[in-house]
Amino acid sequence: MKTAGISLADACAQAQARIEKMPTRQKTVTCPLCGEPFLSFGDLTAHYLAVHPEAVAPVEVRMTVNGRDCCLIIEPQMTLKEVLQFHLGLTGAKQMCDRGQCGSCTVIMDGKPTLSCNVLAADCGGKTVETVEGIAVQPKWRPLIDAYCKWDAMQCGYCTPGFLVAAKCLLDRNPHPTEEDIKEALSGNICICGTYPRHSQAILEAVSYMVKGGEQNA
Amino acid sequence: MRPFNHLNPATLEEAAEALRQPGSVAMAGGGDLLGALKDDIAREYPKLVVNLKSIPGLDRTEVRDGALCIGALCLLGDLSRNELVLQYAPMLAEAAGKCASPALRENSSIGGNLCQLPRCWYFRKLNNRFDCARKGGERCFALSGDNRYHSVFGPAVFENCDGKKRACIAVNQAELAPPLMALGAEIVTTLRTLPVGEFFGVRVMSTTVLEPGELLTEIRIPLPEAGTKMRYKRFSFRKSIDFPVVNLAIVKTPENEYRVALGGVAPMPIRAEAAEELLRGKELTPELAEAAGRAAVRDAKPTEANAYKLQLVKTLLKRELISMMD
Repeated sequence: MKTAGISLADACAQAQARIEKMPTRQKTVTCPLCGEPFLSFGDLTAHYLAVHPEAVAPVEVRMTVNGRDCCLIIEPQMTLKEVLQFHLGLTGAKQMCDRGQCGSCTVIMDGKPTLSCNVLAADCGGKTVETVEGIAVQPKWRPLIDAYCKWDAMQCGYCTPGFLVAAKCLLDRNPHPTEEDIKEALSGNICICGTYPRHSQAILEAVSYMVKGGEQNA
Repeated sequence: MRPFNHLNPATLEEAAEALRQPGSVAMAGGGDLLGALKDDIAREYPKLVVNLKSIPGLDRTEVRDGALCIGALCLLGDLSRNELVLQYAPMLAEAAGKCASPALRENSSIGGNLCQLPRCWYFRKLNNRFDCARKGGERCFALSGDNRYHSVFGPAVFENCDGKKRACIAVNQAELAPPLMALGAEIVTTLRTLPVGEFFGVRVMSTTVLEPGELLTEIRIPLPEAGTKMRYKRFSFRKSIDFPVVNLAIVKTPENEYRVALGGVAPMPIRAEAAEELLRGKELTPELAEAAGRAAVRDAKPTEANAYKLQLVKTLLKRELISMMD
């Protein structure tokens, strides 16, 4: 199935490559202010205390992103969205309003839908984060993505990752949702192109397909 | 956002100590604070953000000493599904389940909901464009400006940091305040215990009476006696991701005592005392419900732009009271 010029298989492979390429650990620790290299984060913190006591020191955060353990040195004011994009290269979650009003940046954190623009990455220590890339590489969710393509539940596509993540989160909790459940679960996502009815259609079709597939497998 | 330091305290004492320093600010879910920091609405930008989520034990819900005790960090989504809340205060679960959007509810705490800053558009304007009374400035821009979503009970008069009298017409948007008020809840802080009605205040950069370093820890709701009826209703222009223009909560005891609380109409959540007085000891009838609706807004002083809120209060209160009739 073709979508936006590249095949779906290519898109999924791209997501897989993105996850594999994630720099989960910083090989060298350098001071962002004076460029001095350090062996560990602890040395960097000591350097900040000694040389830049007035500056805001970076913090170290460990979290699991798309099944990979990450140890990141970040600035405390960075949102989870910014860390996913600028530190880990995951561009799936989209930043639109940056105020928690549109749902485009939705990710799944500890099994719950979370607006990554509205969470400080420094608060996410020990959390498990799943982004739309993590969903794209799981064969289990391929029917959902196929249904989205088939029903063309997107126009410009900018809000689609947020919708897809919210839909996956709903299906995790409730594998047999009604149309009302779907509308409620997606009510925090805004699409300026107005593709709303297509989302319920796509998700309902994916559900029926996944139920059938489950029976065949059993 | 501009840089700030970040602290993950392990105990309430550590958090309180950090918050007593000038330039520090507490953050629970962050839904309210991060928006304010991104827009840089305040006169001063914080040096330190204290993450309260790292303090263990503040997100419990339990029944203790005849009261339903809800930790301040209990998330709205958890609250809306919590069995104890659904059993003893279903109205609160309903209210929590209608706030904001599904994803926001999973990361917003009840304490943050009660302590959030006003949503007045002059107050929230980017880069402190309107240095209003609520930020320590001279005047309330909404008083003479566009105040269609503002108070219908007149402005609140408060003393700013210099001891000067100032007015603010922004409403309190704590969505869970009316249900808690109608349920007769108490607010427990690190220093004291207050009835929920006395917890709110109009101050510079604050909507509560919390002092620097004082933290909201728990909400206690006395268990309602058997046969108590409750209703919650919110009216917003959009179903999702929108603050209510008006919300109200009603509790009716078997002895026909009524508690009616209104949100979104005044600088603080209020009890509709005139309506409660009128209803006291009486069985509900459609005529009484209508009279109660009129009584609730008898003392209102709407501006030119927001008299529509009175009609909303009257109609919503009447409808909800009628729905409570036997």
